[in-house]
Amino acid sequence: MSESVPGLTPEVFAPVEAPVSPPQASEEVEFVQLLTPEGERVEHPDYSFDLDDEAIKGFYRDMTLVRRIDTEATALQRQGELGLWASLLGQEAAQIGSGRALNSKDMVFPTYREHGVAFCQGVNPLNLLGLFRGVDQGAWDPRDNNFHLYTIVIGAQTLHATGYAMGQQRDHAVGDPETGEATIAYFGDGASSQGDVNEAFIYASVFNAPVVFFCQNNQWAISEPIDRQTRIPLYQRAAGFGFPGVRVDGNDVLATYAVTQQALKRAREGSGPTLVEAYTYRMGAHTTSDDPTKYRLSEDLEYWKLKDPIERVKAYLARQAGVDHNFFDEVEAEADKVAAELRQGCLAMPDPELTDFFQYAYVDMPDELAEQRDQYAAYAASFNAEGEG
Amino acid sequence: MTAEHLYRTVRLIRRFEERAMDFVRSGEIVGGIHPYVGQEAIAAGVCAALRPDDVITSTHRGHGHVLAKGVDPARMLAELMGRENGLNRGRGGSMHAADFGLGILGANAIVGAAGSIATGAAWAYQRQGKDVVAVSFFGDGAMNEGMLLEAFNLAVLWRVPVVFVCENNGYATTMPVRSAVAGSITGRARAFGMPAFTVDGQDPEKVLAATTAAVSRARSGRGPTFLECTTYRFDAHHTFEHRARLNYRSTEELSTGRSRDPVEIQGERLAADVRAAVDAEIEALLDAAAGVALGGAHPDPAAALEFLYASPEVNR
Ligand SMILES: Cc1ncc(C[n+]2csc(CCOP(=O)(O)OP(=O)(O)O)c2C)c(N)n1
Ligand SMILES: Cc1ncc(C[n+]2csc(CCOP(=O)(O)OP(=O)(O)O)c2C)c(N)n1
Ligand SMILES: [Mg+2]
Ligand SMILES: [Mg+2]
Repeated sequence: MSESVPGLTPEVFAPVEAPVSPPQASEEVEFVQLLTPEGERVEHPDYSFDLDDEAIKGFYRDMTLVRRIDTEATALQRQGELGLWASLLGQEAAQIGSGRALNSKDMVFPTYREHGVAFCQGVNPLNLLGLFRGVDQGAWDPRDNNFHLYTIVIGAQTLHATGYAMGQQRDHAVGDPETGEATIAYFGDGASSQGDVNEAFIYASVFNAPVVFFCQNNQWAISEPIDRQTRIPLYQRAAGFGFPGVRVDGNDVLATYAVTQQALKRAREGSGPTLVEAYTYRMGAHTTSDDPTKYRLSEDLEYWKLKDPIERVKAYLARQAGVDHNFFDEVEAEADKVAAELRQGCLAMPDPELTDFFQYAYVDMPDELAEQRDQYAAYAASFNAEGEG
Repeated sequence: MTAEHLYRTVRLIRRFEERAMDFVRSGEIVGGIHPYVGQEAIAAGVCAALRPDDVITSTHRGHGHVLAKGVDPARMLAELMGRENGLNRGRGGSMHAADFGLGILGANAIVGAAGSIATGAAWAYQRQGKDVVAVSFFGDGAMNEGMLLEAFNLAVLWRVPVVFVCENNGYATTMPVRSAVAGSITGRARAFGMPAFTVDGQDPEKVLAATTAAVSRARSGRGPTFLECTTYRFDAHHTFEHRARLNYRSTEELSTGRSRDPVEIQGERLAADVRAAVDAEIEALLDAAAGVALGGAHPDPAAALEFLYASPEVNR
């Protein structure tokens, strides 16, 4: 207990488990790290990164492309081509490391910010833009890439993921660490306060479901800082639900890969859920509708810039792995090409008929809704008439 | 004096519940009750640690809580019988007893829901500069309700003067706690950074001591405390179980569970003549209560929609 209760005698309170530790200052956070911000490989007693430098080059490419896609999408929003964009800037390592740890049969349940994971799963980024441009409602089939639709209702996808994982269990797809299936649920630090998420923890734990709860603690839920969200480090929550939790340097792609891989392995072999807290920072605004200068200090941003997930990999590759500038130039050029294609594709997306949107809520449209659609169509037509007249 | 007070409360609750079950059998109480028999020490010990202006929220198994907080047994019995002279004019019945004057913010049939109400109330008092403490009673089953865990988190973050009292009677209906609660009950509370302790919920004095400490912690602005009171439900989950054999507890388990009876534990602390006098006093009180309750009028069916909304227009 961090605080003792006066007047308590031992016979009044039976002895209980170990006390929780108080919240830690962000400067001295303990986490699993395998690559320092300076690009030095370091050892960890429980986790190791066993892939070669080619794989690390691949991660570098993934993160660079995804950042470029993200930057382009933000620019498109600023130019009025997207209604909204939720930037992943700063969270590339958390998403690429965990995304690359997935097997082809694993299932992903994302929030609205998992563009990096979508990329790993092979979802065309244009599909993501379609949603944010408002021309469709997420027009990818979750089964095509084992990547569920973006979920805006904070935390709800953790329940969907747990249910899906229980399904995998009932399909006898769990038990073998090599061939078994697992599910990964992404959510934010803010979502950790949702009852839904806690109920997902409970079900996953009680039923030993093969699910990895991957929490990107980017320190903010819109304008709400993490210290107003929880009194204890988030990964320690898991202990209260009877399963393990681990905190990883979310800006270290080697560590997020290694930690997620182990958690997935546990899930696949039937050992149940794990909570991974990827400790990272949201470098951009919450979404393009938000202005973070209203509620946070620029010096925080400076501190986190030094921990950039891509720079440290570049430093490692250039200094330790003898990768020359040609590689970096190539990736840069590829990123520009991807961005240009994305922009083109975005602008070429056909506008939907606005009345189409009434169609997607029900299989059979109720009369009231048909009435609303007709009213709306008449209202919209009244503008055309005025404009023309 | 404390010993006698605690005994009086556990004995009152026990006999109230036994008589209420008789009224269920005779049909005077329609719909049945969730008997509190076996768990009396918790209500008695917790409420003895409270000031009259402190507030509580209760559960579907809540007669003990409200009696311990000072509800007149006659009005509670009349409420169970659905009479006009009941605590809530017969509209609330067993699971919705409320009396704001006594600091009873309501029993709540929705498992886990009252935790947020207690937290919100305590927070409101705190913001008003009052040193009122709220206690929320709930069962082990409520530990799996997201709503309750949301309340834990906010209570800890905002240092809300609330005490969470979990009555762990080993079952949520027929679901044993070991199959429903992953991790541990106190661990669940600690996962939000809340100090959590396990208390012997069969001993009123231990419950009183623990609650006194938790309440003083809350009142002095140091935030919430979680008390897991281990106990055993001696009787049915609900009186319907008297007719339906559910067979989820072995005879052996039942006899072990019932072996530590809070009424006996506390009764043995009194001199025999004192105990007998209290018992007689309670029988007289409950005889009178039965008379009052049975004499109450049934509400007019035409008034069934009253008291739903503050505005009378809405009721029409
Ligand atoms: C249930 C629900 N409540 C509130 C919102 C509004 N909302 C959108 S994003 C957000 C913050 C989420 O923060 P976090 O979980 O940390 O994820 P992040 O945006 O940082 O990735 C909130 C409150 C919502 N979408 N759903
Ligand atoms: C939200 C909700 N879900 C389900 C129920 C049905 N229900 C009534 S009592 C009960 C069990 C509660 O168990 P516990 O919290 O341990 O209290 P106990 O009955 O043991 O006192 C359930 C599931 C309910 N009333 N509310
Ligand atoms: Mg966040
Ligand atoms: Mg119970």
